[in-house]
Amino acid sequence: MPTKVHVLPVELRETTGTSSASALRAKGMVPAVLYGHGDAPRHLSMEGRAFEDLAARHEASGVLTLVHAGKTIDTALLRAVQRHPVTRRVIHVDFQRVGLNEAVTARVPIATVGVAPGVKEFGGVMDLLSHHLEIEGPADQLPEHIDIDVSELGVHRHVSAGDVKLPKGFRLVTPPDTVLITVEASKTARQVEESATAPQEQLEPEVLGQKSESKA
Amino acid sequence: MLTPKRVKWRKVQRGRMTGRATRGNSLTFGDFGLQALEPCWMTNRQIEAARIAMTRHIKRGGKVWIKVFPDKPATKKPAEVRMGSGKGNPEFWVAVVRPGRVLFELSGVAPDIAREALRLAASKLPIGTKVVAREEETA
Repeated sequence: MPTKVHVLPVELRETTGTSSASALRAKGMVPAVLYGHGDAPRHLSMEGRAFEDLAARHEASGVLTLVHAGKTIDTALLRAVQRHPVTRRVIHVDFQRVGLNEAVTARVPIATVGVAPGVKEFGGVMDLLSHHLEIEGPADQLPEHIDIDVSELGVHRHVSAGDVKLPKGFRLVTPPDTVLITVEASKTARQVEESATAPQEQLEPEVLGQKSESKA
Repeated sequence: MLTPKRVKWRKVQRGRMTGRATRGNSLTFGDFGLQALEPCWMTNRQIEAARIAMTRHIKRGGKVWIKVFPDKPATKKPAEVRMGSGKGNPEFWVAVVRPGRVLFELSGVAPDIAREALRLAASKLPIGTKVVAREEETA
């Protein structure tokens, strides 16, 4: 199913650098850059709230139409989002120019479908070793997420990237032997008891610099 | 309890805890995590207490990742000792935690259980923390 192209209003900015970017953020804007197709990069800014809303609706994963003063600047893919490590506020966004039918490589999130019998019947633990899959295909058809059916996954079984059924027209970029999901046996009651009891006695570590320290 | 197997030096300088965590500040393995909001020296006892609180709550199932390691020896002078006469003896091991650092991660349990387990773990720690979830991290 082709993804809908969403519109994101942006402003063009002339100034660059830390202080002008900080001033923009203080006004509730987010600095961004648009690059690709061999053209010179363009410095943009946008309403922080508009971008956050788009991301919250999971609409930022597909192709976006960047609009300035009612005119379309370019179609682009979201390539990177920098967030503040504590507040999680968006501090910078990278866009890459793409044509609608152009083949692009993108990291698409994985979603599991169904309940693994290894978890439901045998009490195992399902572990997602990778949360994304890298695929190549037409930009306007990029899926929001890739569904992986785990309804036949028993204990000590796994799903590799090569086992995933991709949408038509897409090619896998992630190495096919990469393990994505595993179901492991859960801890026994005894192991739980051992791991949740009082800590062991602290051991003194070996000191490599002891010789030279004693000489000094 | 977490301690290094081997170290280069028995005592190290104290250093500074300015700034924010530039690494280890996002969820890597699990679906839920506990993020530090203040800087601190987190001792191996505190890390262990938090781990035990979490593991007890989630019981069977689920997976826990500890994303900090106490690799710094902290020294203390004995009580009622005059100042001077050199540095004190190594007493415990600490991890230097800066704001933003994800301390623990959890996966394989229901969201309400994960949040409660992390809340219990947070009560064993000397700093303010917040629970982060993978959905909030994406895009």
